[in-house]
Amino acid sequence: MSATAGTEGVMYKKILAAVNEHLNSVITARYALNLARACSAKLYLCFVAEKGMSGTDIEKAEDAMKRIFSEARDMDMQVESISTTGRPVQEIKKVVREEKIDLVFVSARRADVKRKFYRATTASELMLRLPCSVALTRVIHMGRVHPRKILIPLKARIDNVPERAYFTAKMAEGFSSKVFVFHTPKPITRFFHGEIDLTPMEWDKRTPADVRDFMGHINKYRIDFEGRLTPGRVARTITIEAASKRHDLIIMGATGRSLLSSLLRGNPVEKVLRETPCDLIILKPRHKDDK
Amino acid sequence: MINNLSREEVFRLLATSEKGLTEDEADKRLIEFGPNEIKEVRRAPLYKRFIAQFTHFLAILLWLAAGLCFLSEYIKPGEGLLSLGIAIVVVIFINAVFTFIQEYRTEKAVEALKKLLPFNVKVARAGEIREIRAENITPGDLIMLSEGDKVPADARVIESTGLTVNNAPLTGESESRPRSHETFNGEFLESPNIVFAGTHIISGSGRAVAFATGMATEFGKIAHLTGGVHERLSPLQKEIARVTKIVAVIALTTGLFFFTLGLFVGRSFWHNFIFAVGIIIANVPEGLLPTVTLSLAMGSQRMAKKKALIKNLTSVETLGSVTVICTDKTGTLTQNRMAVQKVWTLERQQSGGRGGVTPPLHLMTIAYLCNNATFDNDKYKGDPTEAAILKAARDAIGDIKAERIHQIPFDSERKKMSTVNDLEGRIFVFTKGALETVMPLCTQILSGDKVVAIHESSLPMTEDHKNSIMQAYHSMMDDGLRVIAFAYKPVGAIHELPLQLPDTDKIESNLIFAGLMGLEDPPRPEVPDAIMKCRDAGIKVIMITGDAGRTAVAIARQIGLVKNNPLVIEGHEINAMPDSVLREKLLSPEIIFARMTPVHKMRIVTVLEDEGERVAVTGDGVNDAPALKKANIGIAMGLSGTDVAKEAADMVLLDDNFASIVNAIEEGRSIFENIRKFITYIFAHLTPEAIPYILFSIFKIPLPLTVMQILAIDLGTETIPALALGIEPPETDIMKRPPRPRDSALIDRPLLFRSYIFLGLISTIGVLFVYFHVLFKGGWQWGMELSMEHPLTRQASTAVFLGIVILQIGNVFACRSSKDSIFKLGFFSNRLVIIGVAAEVMLSAFIIYHPFGNRIFGTAPLGLDVWLLLVPFSIALLLAEELRKWVSNKKV
Repeated sequence: MSATAGTEGVMYKKILAAVNEHLNSVITARYALNLARACSAKLYLCFVAEKGMSGTDIEKAEDAMKRIFSEARDMDMQVESISTTGRPVQEIKKVVREEKIDLVFVSARRADVKRKFYRATTASELMLRLPCSVALTRVIHMGRVHPRKILIPLKARIDNVPERAYFTAKMAEGFSSKVFVFHTPKPITRFFHGEIDLTPMEWDKRTPADVRDFMGHINKYRIDFEGRLTPGRVARTITIEAASKRHDLIIMGATGRSLLSSLLRGNPVEKVLRETPCDLIILKPRHKDDK
Repeated sequence: MINNLSREEVFRLLATSEKGLTEDEADKRLIEFGPNEIKEVRRAPLYKRFIAQFTHFLAILLWLAAGLCFLSEYIKPGEGLLSLGIAIVVVIFINAVFTFIQEYRTEKAVEALKKLLPFNVKVARAGEIREIRAENITPGDLIMLSEGDKVPADARVIESTGLTVNNAPLTGESESRPRSHETFNGEFLESPNIVFAGTHIISGSGRAVAFATGMATEFGKIAHLTGGVHERLSPLQKEIARVTKIVAVIALTTGLFFFTLGLFVGRSFWHNFIFAVGIIIANVPEGLLPTVTLSLAMGSQRMAKKKALIKNLTSVETLGSVTVICTDKTGTLTQNRMAVQKVWTLERQQSGGRGGVTPPLHLMTIAYLCNNATFDNDKYKGDPTEAAILKAARDAIGDIKAERIHQIPFDSERKKMSTVNDLEGRIFVFTKGALETVMPLCTQILSGDKVVAIHESSLPMTEDHKNSIMQAYHSMMDDGLRVIAFAYKPVGAIHELPLQLPDTDKIESNLIFAGLMGLEDPPRPEVPDAIMKCRDAGIKVIMITGDAGRTAVAIARQIGLVKNNPLVIEGHEINAMPDSVLREKLLSPEIIFARMTPVHKMRIVTVLEDEGERVAVTGDGVNDAPALKKANIGIAMGLSGTDVAKEAADMVLLDDNFASIVNAIEEGRSIFENIRKFITYIFAHLTPEAIPYILFSIFKIPLPLTVMQILAIDLGTETIPALALGIEPPETDIMKRPPRPRDSALIDRPLLFRSYIFLGLISTIGVLFVYFHVLFKGGWQWGMELSMEHPLTRQASTAVFLGIVILQIGNVFACRSSKDSIFKLGFFSNRLVIIGVAAEVMLSAFIIYHPFGNRIFGTAPLGLDVWLLLVPFSIALLLAEELRKWVSNKKV
């Protein structure tokens, strides 16, 4: 996969969407479909029937696969559907290895989100174990089929900037959306004065280098975008920004925080995942050591 | 977007059908998407917020001191450290309680939002109609809608019969809007095939498929914003936090310095420890927070008398720091009492309601029949504009009987309404609305009361006619009138009309233009003065109205809000405007936002606040709640406001009157000044408390003041006089000064110099004079060591205590104004000062002469000579301050 080879070399050639009997996996697959179209990538639809799954559920999942499959075909896209049985994580991992998949779309279930740090869930296992990039999607709104406004919250230090920018740009291209790059710095405080208020211009001057770098990459894709800094508590500020500006989709990076760090300092990604007012994609770019 | 999709595509997208979801599928989706409910955004519970008052910097220092006292009592009992420790804990609790009272406010806005959602709702499940709890609605559910229902979730209409909804909770518009099942390619939020959670079905029936539930709905977004907007600390809270830290650092440094110094001069550890704790206590103004809190509480009561109900105490002072007021027009700047002021027809123009001129019959007939206001029990009921039009029609032509066959309701997109009436056996279409929407539908024009064809058949009106109409229209708008256009047409028979949507638009074609009415909503009489006050006070007033720009400008001119050509920004312009451009526009000295919806308010407020302005914003609708929460001061309308707006606001205007806001700001400004006055007063006694202590440490003189006596002053004798300073009336020029700069401090160097050095040193001289007077009179000589329990030590420390009290009496009069002489203000003009002084003297007498007071505070009775010796010092202090004011005023 060439997603780690610098801006020019970044591209997704094969995108897989994990489909199951739940409606949110269908919506997730549609995000994958639109991205695949924008990247001219081949789309894989994969359904893994777990042991003990009811016939009705299998039927629903297969129906969903058919629907997405035919939508892809209508768009003249390369598409392949894979139905298999077994444990989802293992089976999807096998497909990813065999087919050399670049990116997998997985839908986050409400049960996953409710768990602290979504540990021991299929979603987290897929994010940790798949040897490719993973886009964990939380669907909460089904009326906004094509997101017009995409919010991209970034932290000060970002890894895999080229791939994140590529993913963002292609999602925006796929849906003809406008991108809003958003950074939430910590409020500046002084011992005696407490919180120091800065004007937007003053905040702009403090835009972190990685955020500028990301915007530079986005710019190369000729995507309509705006940048904005709003100090505050990260998760809350992102949620408020998304709700007040009526964004249709948030794309965030996966947290790099360890369990201990999350316990001590909290985990903004987890909080946004719980409280998001619109659909949310958490992208975990492929690590160079992933095998 | 879902509004672009056909019915079949909607079913496919949401994996549902004509029969709705099966129970099994609905249950699964409910687990996946969660219950359809509005949730509170997680915030720290009340008990945690209370506990936080015990863990800030100063509190931690005091806890440490108390802990050391208890430890010392344990190691070396009988040194009086237990009572000291208890006293410190009491101080911590008092401060915590008062700070908590300041910050406490009820958070019920989201609760009020929840009430707007229904409890039960009818849905189709597996082909059967069932009534279920609204919280069990899930995406894909097929909802049955009928008149009177509340909509439980955001849903796409797939079937409709005369369906109209009231979107007021979302848009603030009171008029109902038609809903249809047809696909729509415009904006999602404006889509007529979508019904939103929290809105009401006014008429008709239909079916809709839910696509967003709970917090994912548009209504949920309001809850997100209302419950989740981060409320910043108020300027006063920030200042108090800063002052507390400064004082804590000063106290700690001084305490440590003298503790170390004591060790060097050979004083025992315990002696030094007691001294260090004493110096810390002497430096901490324990009474400050209770006094500030009580002063704010009294300020809020005064504001309530001026029709401004304050919901959390610190807002009282925040009001005083406001630099921009974003205000609605209708009802706030104006009286919301619409009246037809002018009527225009082609042939004549006449003043509405004035006699002597024959009223235009056709125009008045349209005004009467194309109208949803009613006249019952001698009262006009309904929308104020409609009621005013009905009144003008009734006054002109009396009551008419005509059957209404059909109605196309008003909606803010179409900006017009039409009715089909059977009038004396003939069928007519009557239309009224905004000129820009009515005129294009007209092909003929009414001349007098005869219908004259402008051109044969349905050719457009001539440019001359259009120009005449536009001239009249502009002239009325320039007079500040809201202009309504009227048209009509006779129809052969009812069956000729296409009465089903979307063809109803065809009814409104080939109309005959009848004329215009100009309605006036007169400004409130108090408003021009209030605007003038704002101008003098350097407060910018920005009008945000749903009315047209010209009308808004005319009203703004009438009330003196604008004098030149203001910048007018309309709703569609702001939508396309990036924040950076809006920021520049907001710098214009005169700016009006016209054709606005409440959605725009929050954006304007956010941009203003980002620029460092302190913003007060008015609002009444449900969707004003986020802006009310976001602003430094959210002001809800008490008469016309929704419960949600009132809950989200910091202040409720009981009379909806702009002038009351300005009165409240004046009160807020005076409270800031008054807080500075009593801080000067309180800080002035810190020097005479601290210096004798320092002398005690250096020169080994008998203990001049006990910690309990310090607390008796700080939390006892000073309280009422300090409060009295908190209710000083506003100084005459308070609304002539610009708002205090963003970085201005409550406590600045001049204040510290005046209180600590100037007033504090004068007090110290008086206090030390009586201290040594008592000691020498009792036979004490330099170098003689006296224990703390020695009667002479107790008398001397009592003299210091009394000295501080008596000198503070002079000081309270000195602090009533930083500029004006007490002789100008009058000694008795603030009665509470007199009461406070009397209370102070009585409490001191109790502490000095009652055995109980002696036991608790370690005091001993004093002779009259001490009292008499102190009086000249108190007078001297007052005169010295008078001199300082005189010199200072002369310099200015």
